[in-house]
Amino acid sequence: MSPAVRAVFELAPYLAALAAGALLPRRSGWAERAALGLTAALALALVRGLWPGAAPAPAPSPALEWPHLLNVIVFLPLVGAAAILFLPRQSPTLLRRFTLGILVLDLVASLFLLRASPERGWHFQFIADWLPSFGIRYHVAIDGISLWLVLLTTFTTPIAAFVSFGSLKTRVKDLCFSFLLLQGGMLGAFVALDLFLFYVFWELMLVPMLLLIGVWGGVERIKAAYKFFLYTMAGSVLMLAAILYLVWSHREVAGYLTFDYLALSRLVLPKTAAWLCFGAFLLAFAIKVPMFPLHTWLPDAHVQAPTGGSILLAAVLLKLGTYGYLRFCMGMFGGPAWGAAATLASVAIFGGILYGALCAWKQDDIKRLVAYSSVAHLGFVMLGLFAGTRAGVEGAILVMINHGIATGALFLLVGVIYDRRHTRMVREFGGLARPMPIYTAVFVLVTMASIGVPGTNGFVGEFMVILGTFTSMTLGSNAQMQGVAAAFGVILAAVYMLSVVQKVFFGPVTNPKNAHLPDLSARETIALAPLVALIFVLGLFPRILTDRMHDSVDAVLERYREGRLAHQELPEHATTARLRDRRGGPLERGYPKSPEEREAEAAKLAAATAPASAPAAQGAPQ
Amino acid sequence: MNLLFGLSPFLAVGVGALLLMLAEAFGKPNVAPGVETTDAGAGRAGELALGAAVILVIGAVLSVAVWVAGPESLPELTQVAPHLVIDKFTLFFSFTLCVGGALAALLAGGYLPEHGIDRSEFFPLLLLSTVGAMALSAAGDLLTLFVALETMSLGVYSLIGLRRGSPRAAEAALKYFLLGSFAAAIMLFGLALLYGATGHTDLAGIGAAVRSIGSPGSTVSAGKILISLVLVLVGLAFKVSAVPFHQWTPDAYEGAPTPAATYMAVAVKSAAFAVLLRVLLVGFGDERLASWGAGWPPALAVLAVLSMTVANLVAGRQESVKRMLAYSSIAHAGYALVGVVAAMRSPEAVSAVAFYLLAYTVSTAGAFGALILCGSRGAEAVSYEDLAGVGKRHPAAALAFSLFLFSLAGLPPTAGFFGKLYVFRTAIDSGLYTLAILGLVNSVIGAYYYLRVMVYLYMREPAPGAPRAVTMRSGFVATALVAAAIFVLLLGMAPGFTLDMASGAALTAR
Amino acid sequence: MSELVQVYLPMFLVFAVGAAIVAVFWLGGHYLGPKNPNPEKLQPYECGNDSDGARGVRMSVKFYLTAILFVVFDIEAVFIYPWAVLFKGLGWTGFLTMLAFIAALLVALAYCWKKGALEWES
Repeated sequence: MSPAVRAVFELAPYLAALAAGALLPRRSGWAERAALGLTAALALALVRGLWPGAAPAPAPSPALEWPHLLNVIVFLPLVGAAAILFLPRQSPTLLRRFTLGILVLDLVASLFLLRASPERGWHFQFIADWLPSFGIRYHVAIDGISLWLVLLTTFTTPIAAFVSFGSLKTRVKDLCFSFLLLQGGMLGAFVALDLFLFYVFWELMLVPMLLLIGVWGGVERIKAAYKFFLYTMAGSVLMLAAILYLVWSHREVAGYLTFDYLALSRLVLPKTAAWLCFGAFLLAFAIKVPMFPLHTWLPDAHVQAPTGGSILLAAVLLKLGTYGYLRFCMGMFGGPAWGAAATLASVAIFGGILYGALCAWKQDDIKRLVAYSSVAHLGFVMLGLFAGTRAGVEGAILVMINHGIATGALFLLVGVIYDRRHTRMVREFGGLARPMPIYTAVFVLVTMASIGVPGTNGFVGEFMVILGTFTSMTLGSNAQMQGVAAAFGVILAAVYMLSVVQKVFFGPVTNPKNAHLPDLSARETIALAPLVALIFVLGLFPRILTDRMHDSVDAVLERYREGRLAHQELPEHATTARLRDRRGGPLERGYPKSPEEREAEAAKLAAATAPASAPAAQGAPQ
Repeated sequence: MNLLFGLSPFLAVGVGALLLMLAEAFGKPNVAPGVETTDAGAGRAGELALGAAVILVIGAVLSVAVWVAGPESLPELTQVAPHLVIDKFTLFFSFTLCVGGALAALLAGGYLPEHGIDRSEFFPLLLLSTVGAMALSAAGDLLTLFVALETMSLGVYSLIGLRRGSPRAAEAALKYFLLGSFAAAIMLFGLALLYGATGHTDLAGIGAAVRSIGSPGSTVSAGKILISLVLVLVGLAFKVSAVPFHQWTPDAYEGAPTPAATYMAVAVKSAAFAVLLRVLLVGFGDERLASWGAGWPPALAVLAVLSMTVANLVAGRQESVKRMLAYSSIAHAGYALVGVVAAMRSPEAVSAVAFYLLAYTVSTAGAFGALILCGSRGAEAVSYEDLAGVGKRHPAAALAFSLFLFSLAGLPPTAGFFGKLYVFRTAIDSGLYTLAILGLVNSVIGAYYYLRVMVYLYMREPAPGAPRAVTMRSGFVATALVAAAIFVLLLGMAPGFTLDMASGAALTAR
Repeated sequence: MSELVQVYLPMFLVFAVGAAIVAVFWLGGHYLGPKNPNPEKLQPYECGNDSDGARGVRMSVKFYLTAILFVVFDIEAVFIYPWAVLFKGLGWTGFLTMLAFIAALLVALAYCWKKGALEWES
């Protein structure tokens, strides 16, 4: 078989998908059809490329991991944001194209992250000294968990930006700047392994999000912007205090300053200090998640934010809270996290899953409803993390990804009718299925994903979380009860989502204003298509995600258990911290070196080069 | 020769001040033809501002040069030693002061002509006052300390009153003058008592005498030392405007021309902190005085907490942005005082305070500069309402304003964040957890009113029919803002060299 | 705590004694002093003359200016006396230092002159 023929055979499925995507929709417009076809082909490529049995996993060789890839991914949007400042304000088209170009480029770059082997340990690690006198390093890396969150970010931001460019026509330059800066901050926070670096990116996200809410938001936008900013900042300054305390304790024990996560997570603090530091970190992350009773900023922020802002807020920003808990609270404070898990799990179930669902049920504003449903879904995520079982944590990560996709799509869909009617009240609508059939179909589909109907992506994660909760040792004797209570949350989700679908889409057209609403536009369809594709892809093939996270989740849980044991072994009234033993292995690749080790290494290097040059020097005269 | 090199930052600024005086008096007035003027400086704010800025930048560069050469390698400097102590601490502060002064001079170059304040004395006065401030940071002797303090203050008193027609400026100048002389008198009383009690005017000798208390044969009275300590602290707390000695600050800042307020906020405060650190650590560095149980740390801690909390709470309620910035400068004095308290245990805290003040200097000068850009003649931007919609009308000014406010609020990746991190880290190193947490919580309260400016800049539109501040354009102000912005970002993201400089600034006398 | 009180006690005592002395003199004068007011006594006192005219008579600023210039240059002269006494011991360093000082004074004088501070009529 000649290569050309083979290429045709290999390409055939993709071409078929392309054709199906392009021809099946009833709509006209070549751009729309082409984009849909491309989405279908890419979805197929994604499934085939990631399907674990499809091809032998690439051998884990460092040559495959270009060390600068993460730098490129993180700094591409930041440099883009800086470049935006120098582009002319008068040409919004150029600004939009430039921004989308950067974001798509970033997406493409981040796809290369998938070449990382699924083994435990850090991949694409890059370390550089930043402020040696403070022990601050630029240390970025991903593992099987942050990999997916990075991809989620690079995937949703272009969609959010694309949608926003359709509806927001004012101050485009500021908008582009905000999107790029936000993207850089979010990506940086997901990949940072130095606590200083993490904090910098964590705070860097605040400003563009503040602008998104405050400049392009609704009527009450300024109040919502204040609330968002001050809540988050209040949480994070206490986290900063805890970080500084950790760094100081580490120096007391180890003799040198470092902000590195790998080093600080070895620290076993005295019990009171450990609880206080855990509390500070928990506060920061619980506000971001948000967990009951700190969730009050979220509905305001969501309702006031423009569609693009809401998508990013729900899809990515909230995940930083859960990711932070997983990485930092469970990684560094195993003891307190274990001790508090049962109580916090109850809070997550009753305050998050059930209360959030009940609140959502009572909302008139569809966007507020979706916002409260986020509270409920993130309750599932936190529950899975608190459960501390492999199924629970993997389920939690799945829910994070799936919530990002489904809720992002829901906010997008709500934005669609808001753009047409400038209202989001349920009572204003009814019988939309008649004028907007495609919109209705997509909405119902996404609703199914959000509820967690089997076959869509929402099902797998929630199922795994409940399974993990049921079998959790951490949650103690109430685990089964809690599992059952969480399952009620799924039922409630169906209640509130389906009731709103029924009210808005079915029945007669009650409001004459709705009789002739245009259906989805090309821009909206193109933005929705990848999300809908992923709903099915991830719903049918969740192994794409889980196979790459098994090892990392195991590593996290191992560290969590070790942290708990070390905490429990510490005498009750110990006043000084101590360090756990080094375990070595891929999980400690890139461990910060003490000044003595650095000196020894430099001496060794000097010794290695000196003999090489010395004989040469001696040999020259002979 | 080495002596001259060691003193070159001071000489450059001092001689430069004299030359600028002559240039101002003997130049040709630059006025429209037909206008009679007897004032040779009329209409020449631009060139004089440039001259002042160049002189101060030379001073800053020379400070760095002497720092790099190492003052300890210049033995001739001991000739001036107790009067002017040239060490890395002094040089770091003189760098900060020169940078602050240069920024203020550039701002004045744009501000004075725009607002019709044709007083070219501003620039010689600014330079002379900076010489005083630099000498203050170097003062190791009570005599030079007081002379330098007055040299610095006299210039500032007149800078505030430059807008002669305005009753508000007169009120501000008079208020600052009266309260300032009062505080100086109190401090002078403390210094006199100190001399009487110890028989020394040099701080090192005083420190030794204080240490001898309690040892057999010592005639130094602990009571007198304590009273003088309190009096000196009151005098210096007034200069750094710590609560409850802050009452003059908002009025003075509001009445003064904005560049003069900038200079007061950055240079006067930094110099006062320098002398505060030196007096406390060298003169009162005895373990019994510099401890948590007794002595100055608890008193300063109370001042720090009061400054942060009161200023942040009051600042949120201001309607004038200038007053808000004044209260913000009080709050920042509180944060820096946390570092001064931490200096009792950790020598690194001195470097932290020095670094913090540099970060504060560039951020505050930038914020005042951006405020200048938001208004113009007859329509100076004063209240929050005036800032509404500037994000659209003058995007560059709004962007710069936001950057400096974020730095003041302590958000990464700006200088202010790193300064706060450094100060609070040393506080935690010294076991001052409560102070550190109070400081951090306060920075959230502070974020509220900085955010409020942002909200007005970007998220609100001016009320229809309301008088609107017209934004101005000025190369001088723009230059100052760009320089300050570079500093803010550089100190926030790559503070390596500055950190090294600051870490050399530890006071070694203890 | 007790240590703190002990250390600061002398200071508070000084404050207390100061306040007490002021209070004693002030209240003493108020309550103990004989008061026999008559119209003559209640008049404002002004050098034995009957008072008339505005309270704040404006003096020309020139007087202040001349006075301050006199003080400035007069005080500078005071510095030169001890220098002259020690002239031999100080040597060339002292001579150069004084030259620099006088140069600075000259600059100031030139400035005053050019700015018109020395002119009486203008």
